[in-house]
Amino acid sequence: MRLLLVEDDLAIQRFVEQALVEAGYRVDTASDAKRAEALALEGVHDAHIVDLGLPDMDGLDLIARCRAQGSSAPVLILSARRSVDERVKGLENGGDDYLTKPFALAELLARLRNLLRRSSTPQKESARLEVADLQLDLVGREASRRDRPLQLTPHEFSLLEYLCRNAGRVVTRTMILDHVWRMRFDPATNVVDVHIYRLRSKVDAAGCRPLIHTIRGVGYVLRDA
Amino acid sequence: MPKTLRTTAAWRIAFWTTLAFSLGTFAAFFIFYVFVAQEIRARSDAWLTGEAQVLAQVAEDTPRDSLYDHVVEEVAELAMHEVPDETSSGGERMNAVFFLSVNPAADSDTLFVGPGPKDKFWSAIRQARWVAGVPQSIKVAGWRQTAASFRVVAPAHQGPTAIYLGLSERGDKHILHKLTRRFLSVWAGTVLFGLLISYLSARRTLQRVERITETVARIGSEELDERLPEPANSDEVSRLARTFNHMLGRIQASVNQLRTVTDSVAHDLKSPVTSIRGTLEGALSAANGEHWRDAVGQAIEGLDRVSALLNTTLDVAEAQAGALHLDRAPVDLGEVVTQLVSLYQPAMAERHHEVRTHLGSHVVVEADLALLNRTLSNLLENELLHLPEGCQIDIRLRSHEGDAELVVEDNGPGFPPEIANRALERFVKGERSPGNGLGLAFVDAVVQAHRGTVKISSRPLGGATVTLLLPISALQPA
Repeated sequence: MRLLLVEDDLAIQRFVEQALVEAGYRVDTASDAKRAEALALEGVHDAHIVDLGLPDMDGLDLIARCRAQGSSAPVLILSARRSVDERVKGLENGGDDYLTKPFALAELLARLRNLLRRSSTPQKESARLEVADLQLDLVGREASRRDRPLQLTPHEFSLLEYLCRNAGRVVTRTMILDHVWRMRFDPATNVVDVHIYRLRSKVDAAGCRPLIHTIRGVGYVLRDA
Repeated sequence: MPKTLRTTAAWRIAFWTTLAFSLGTFAAFFIFYVFVAQEIRARSDAWLTGEAQVLAQVAEDTPRDSLYDHVVEEVAELAMHEVPDETSSGGERMNAVFFLSVNPAADSDTLFVGPGPKDKFWSAIRQARWVAGVPQSIKVAGWRQTAASFRVVAPAHQGPTAIYLGLSERGDKHILHKLTRRFLSVWAGTVLFGLLISYLSARRTLQRVERITETVARIGSEELDERLPEPANSDEVSRLARTFNHMLGRIQASVNQLRTVTDSVAHDLKSPVTSIRGTLEGALSAANGEHWRDAVGQAIEGLDRVSALLNTTLDVAEAQAGALHLDRAPVDLGEVVTQLVSLYQPAMAERHHEVRTHLGSHVVVEADLALLNRTLSNLLENELLHLPEGCQIDIRLRSHEGDAELVVEDNGPGFPPEIANRALERFVKGERSPGNGLGLAFVDAVVQAHRGTVKISSRPLGGATVTLLLPISALQPA
């Protein structure tokens, strides 16, 4: 997978590039719209990550120009603007997405994966998920560990499903709220954490190896380690 | 005239008003003058025509013997004593009258009664064309130094002689001159007096404006509590003063709020920044890798608090400025409450709170779901942050007089009395509150953007009540 990262703030460009490379992507970078347009029109990138505040052109205009010249790669918009522009929302319908700064790298990667999945051919949805000795039946919405069924509420199952789908990858509290409860805000209290503690007390019961781990400052990860 | 006077508005107002007044009155006088002049002439002509008729009659009837001259002269003399409005000024007769009877065939057959030499009148009369019975003005040159103007009529008359009766216009002119002179003196006085009065009254009014200007100029950002004196009457200048005072009040409120916001943001940023810095510094001097991991995690959490504070501050500012973009769609409020309660239930249970929902009826509002979720979660976060353990929280939803009424009520300590009236303002929070004082301000701003209202109160037996009223959407089934 090859990505184009357009960002004029070099400090941000550097750490985003590093994170993307570590996640296994090939990354080309541009610091201004002129160079970005030239790179984008090569047509070799699977997705573009574009900051809106570029020195020589508004990021949205850059996207529009690339689209007009035949570029079809999905775009992930980075924006420092809090109130998300109408036009950005309009683009969202066209298969694009946006993130406002400051963002968690985990969320950037998750949205990028989502964009790339959307643009590629849909994969056959699996009916079961397995992580180590944890099994999820997505059709019957039941979970078991070491072949013993777990008594989960519907929300707890959704939460566990979300963690399993992202097994090995860190998810933030905001991402959990968004995907499990369909709400987009940053909670100031431990409201999400309490759900995780409850789930953990059922999944990682005594005698089992812990699967749900807390990553301080970022969120949670489900992995067998 | 000093330049400073000409540049004042008072002078300009007075000048133009007076100019308009004087031109108007002058035009009125002109019309009056023409009317009077015509009236006087009409009266003179009526007299002249009448007398001339009598004289012509006498001249016709009298046989042309030696007595003829005598009789006609006698009648002419009589007529002259009947001149209307005969006045004398300085012993001089104002209304001189002459009578002339001329026989063009015989020069000796001429009769003249009147002042001065006959020839001068005769030569003036000969230059004019005469229509019987129509008076006209002629100039008699050289009579009494200057040319005098006479009104003369030649009556229709049979006989060899032509008859002319003339009346000096001097008296008429004298009356008209006197009228003009008197008018001009009164007019000039009135104009000057009017100029003075209008200048003084305009200056008096504009001096009040000047005082407002001086006061406002003096009020910088430091003396914003100063106000203009407001006179009791309600003329334009008083209204100006009152409007300025209102504006100053609003500016003062904004400036104060801005100061509070800046102070609060600065204060609220300092503690997380201090702790982030301390944590990272401690991690640097420690050798243990696990300690580093922990410190970085703590630093990120601190930074998240900082960015949350900044974001919420901006959101509230944007919402209060009315710049919030609403993505309205029909929202089932009961559904929203149920979802949020399911999200918050475990955290509430952890603090031994009991949450009870009373969803009376199916209530749909036209609202932005994401903002509504944040708004209601703010209320529940408040309960988590502020209540001591083991409280009871009741959430009631009903439709009431065209509004959706959502009440969140607890049996905790209630709002601290010192902030009870201002709890919806930005950065207003209780002394021991762990929050940032933005939660309820955001709730208020979002609800207002939906044209709703927020009411807060402390219950008499303890506990806080927050009531949201949102207009019910038109889509609500009857």
